Amino acid sequence: MTEPRAELLQGTLDILVLKTLASGPLHGWGISKRIQQVSRELLTVNQGSLYPALYRLEDRGFVAGEEGHSDEGRRIKLYRLTPGGRRELAREIESWERFATGMRYVLGTG
Amino acid sequence: MSWLKSFRRRLGILLRHEEVERAMDAEMCHHLECEIAERVARGVAPKEARRTALRDFGGVERFKEEGRDARGVRALEDVILDVRQGLRSLRRAPALTVATVLTLALGVAASTAIFGMAYGVLFRTLPYRDPDRLVVLWEHNLTRGRDRNVVAVANFEAWRDRSRAFRGMAALVPASVTIVEGREPERVAGAEVSPGYFGLLGVAPALGRDLTADADEVVLSDGFWKRHFGGDPAAVGKAISMRGGSFTVVGVMPQGFDPPRFGWLGEQALWLPFRATEENRAWGRFLLVVARLESGASLEDARSRMARLGRELARESPSNEGWSVSVVGLAEQITADARDSLLVLLGAVGLLLVMAATNAALLTLASLQRSTGDRALRLALGATRRRIVQQVLTQSALLGLLGAVVGMAAAVWGVGLLVPLLPSDVPRAASIRVDGPVLLFGTCAAAAAMLIAGAVAALGSLKATPFTVLREGAAGRVARGPGGGLIVAAEVGLAVVLTVLAGLTLRSYAALRAVDLGFGTEGVVAARLSLSPDYGTPERERAFFGAVLERLAGTVGVRSVGLVSTRPFGGLDTATGVSNPDRNEAKASDRVVADVRFADAGFFRTLRIPVVAGEPFADPEPTSGRPRVLINETMAALLWPGESPLGRPVRINLFDGTLAEVRGVVRDVRLLDARTPPRSTAYLALSRFPTSSLDVVVGGDASPAAIVGSLRAAVATLDPALPLYRVAALRGLVEESLARDRFTTLLLSTFSVVALLLACVGIAGVFLADVARRRREIGIRRALGARTSAIVLLVLRRALVLAGVGVVAGLVVAVLVSRLLGSILFGVEPADPVSFLGVTAILLGVSAAAALIPGLTASRVSPLVALRGE
Repeated sequence: MTEPRAELLQGTLDILVLKTLASGPLHGWGISKRIQQVSRELLTVNQGSLYPALYRLEDRGFVAGEEGHSDEGRRIKLYRLTPGGRRELAREIESWERFATGMRYVLGTG
Repeated sequence: MSWLKSFRRRLGILLRHEEVERAMDAEMCHHLECEIAERVARGVAPKEARRTALRDFGGVERFKEEGRDARGVRALEDVILDVRQGLRSLRRAPALTVATVLTLALGVAASTAIFGMAYGVLFRTLPYRDPDRLVVLWEHNLTRGRDRNVVAVANFEAWRDRSRAFRGMAALVPASVTIVEGREPERVAGAEVSPGYFGLLGVAPALGRDLTADADEVVLSDGFWKRHFGGDPAAVGKAISMRGGSFTVVGVMPQGFDPPRFGWLGEQALWLPFRATEENRAWGRFLLVVARLESGASLEDARSRMARLGRELARESPSNEGWSVSVVGLAEQITADARDSLLVLLGAVGLLLVMAATNAALLTLASLQRSTGDRALRLALGATRRRIVQQVLTQSALLGLLGAVVGMAAAVWGVGLLVPLLPSDVPRAASIRVDGPVLLFGTCAAAAAMLIAGAVAALGSLKATPFTVLREGAAGRVARGPGGGLIVAAEVGLAVVLTVLAGLTLRSYAALRAVDLGFGTEGVVAARLSLSPDYGTPERERAFFGAVLERLAGTVGVRSVGLVSTRPFGGLDTATGVSNPDRNEAKASDRVVADVRFADAGFFRTLRIPVVAGEPFADPEPTSGRPRVLINETMAALLWPGESPLGRPVRINLFDGTLAEVRGVVRDVRLLDARTPPRSTAYLALSRFPTSSLDVVVGGDASPAAIVGSLRAAVATLDPALPLYRVAALRGLVEESLARDRFTTLLLSTFSVVALLLACVGIAGVFLADVARRRREIGIRRALGARTSAIVLLVLRRALVLAGVGVVAGLVVAVLVSRLLGSILFGVEPADPVSFLGVTAILLGVSAAAALIPGLTASRVSPLVALRGE
């Protein structure tokens, strides 16, 4: 655990979760692992923020919980992106792009 | 629409609370399992994988809470959770729960019941139109500083006709009449009122009309109308014979009409017209006056205008010299006597409520102490302090709610119990009931008690830290006093204050009972007779009374009989100026005022009032020559200081000035009540000054009932139409006059006993908990050879130190508070050392007794406890 890891920016967890779920339903642990893998271990998700984020997104209707089965056949909760969540993801990506572009201009790296 | 959806989901979450919580648990478990499995797959040893996974995961409880937060139902959900948990923990310790609820209920019930009484008597608005505008007018005797003197007819007329501060003014005077309807003659109490009295109050008769100025008419109370006419509306217009004439019923007052009662006004069953006549203008001062303020005029306006008018009248007539006018609000006037004692009771019950609340707090703390481990664990698992405090408050709110419900139910019952106990002279007892304002007070009392209990308990609960459990488990605690020690001291202090109040009133009551009244009450019965005007001449009246006495004297069991114009403890009677004609009077107002009673020789024999100098009345007194008078010791000392009054002349300002010769001096007698010291009294012989209304006093060995029976029989044979009224044993009259003191004393003593019990429960509870916590320490002491007595003393000493602190603080407060009792106490100083020392001893004794229970419990702790771990 010596390699440097990026701190998650405030408010970016929602977009990561939504994006991860865009490719199919996953359970909580799966989501955190997928983010870790796809970001090539640069991003880790703290469990302490993951579940509140999931509940919040569920509360707003962007993701929906459904019954699923784990590999061992146990009943677990799977999260699925709702149509509203898909629209929200699009909005979030757009605003993220604008934010990142702005940052690049300011830092002179773009 | 989306808010509706999310609302429905939130509701669903709340309703399916358990299920959602379980799902959340399952999810976290699954997460951990996946994490461990992954670490194992990476080659970490299973045990190590589990440990690191758990460590990296962090506080489960906090995540759960944040999870709930994210769902947006946190606040509501927390409350539901706390209520459930609260109910569960209350059910787990039923004894503690019942004790707490009962304690709170006791405080709420007592304070609500007393408030209900005080509110009914003192604060409820009077049942008249605009009662705030009604006032009572008195003559103010400037030289004697007596500002509530009854009013002379001429002055009432002058006020009514010349003052412009009032919209209306009416005079009234108590009056009783004999009514002979049916077989039993009856004496009925009522009042003579001047025209417009009912209009002034703003209460119209429910049936018929008001009295008119110049006719023999009568208005009945609803009760009298129902009793005598069976509630027949045709009663209006019928005639009732009384006062040797016939009075037409013109009206019936509404049901529940509660006429103002003040001064010497008693219950009133009927009202007759009062008319000023040349005769009663010469009677001196005897009227009560009620008035309604002119619109726009304030009480102050009325006072200054009446003061001016009073000065004018003083200039116009010598009889008004040294007199002014006082104006008092009607409500204040009616409740004046009862106010002090009711306010003291209210204050005392307030203290009791605070005690009940602190005791509830102690009990809640004790129940919390049982679950300290539980809370410490939750803190360790990441629950916030706010959540813990919230939960503690919820639990005490639950207890408070239960206590309030039980308490208010008990208050309704308690008011019903107290009202019949009320002394009969307490005004406005009819308006005592439990309704909106009283229940509101009860609710506030319960809420306040709950807040105190909750705040104390919550503060106590904050002491729990995640390490509390570890520390207690490991070493046991040695230092630190018992939890709630200060509360115990405070409770002892409050108990001291209440017990001092009770002690002072008890001592005062005892002093009142011990007062030498100056006459013997044992076996003496009094009854009043008022002859009808048919008798006509004084000779016939004298003959009738003589015949009654003669018949009675011959009865077995009767020792002596006598007559007097008004018996002792029978209310006010004539009082007038007396003077020594041998001395030059400086001013008319300097004259001595003496009570005047008309009596025969038998009166002094029957009441065993000794003649200390000179001669008693002859039996009978001669009816010619200079009238002879018996005076009491006080009057002899005032008019003839250092000299013998025997054979001296004395001027009595009665019947245009009577010059009498002092025949003897009799002992001082308390004529009015036990409190009022005897004032100058002159007894004139009945044979010289015949009266048609007299009290017959009969003393003997026969039972009071037997004596009354013979008296009734004697009267019935001589005059079947003559009612016997105000029949009472003198002993009973004296008891009745102490009723208010007894009531106050009884209630305060009850409060004090309850306060002592509460303090006991507090002390025992706190130290039992302390002993339970220090079992190991005590075990070690035992193992090291401490004796049983040493262990008991250890607990006793700690308890007594706390109690001592409480006693000292309580005494300081009691010194300040007891001054408020000043007007209630008799024969005892508010700073009475006996009461204060006694209370100190009682409190220390009670505290020690209460601490004995935990002390003995401690002494039974086995030394083996020291050897066994936890």
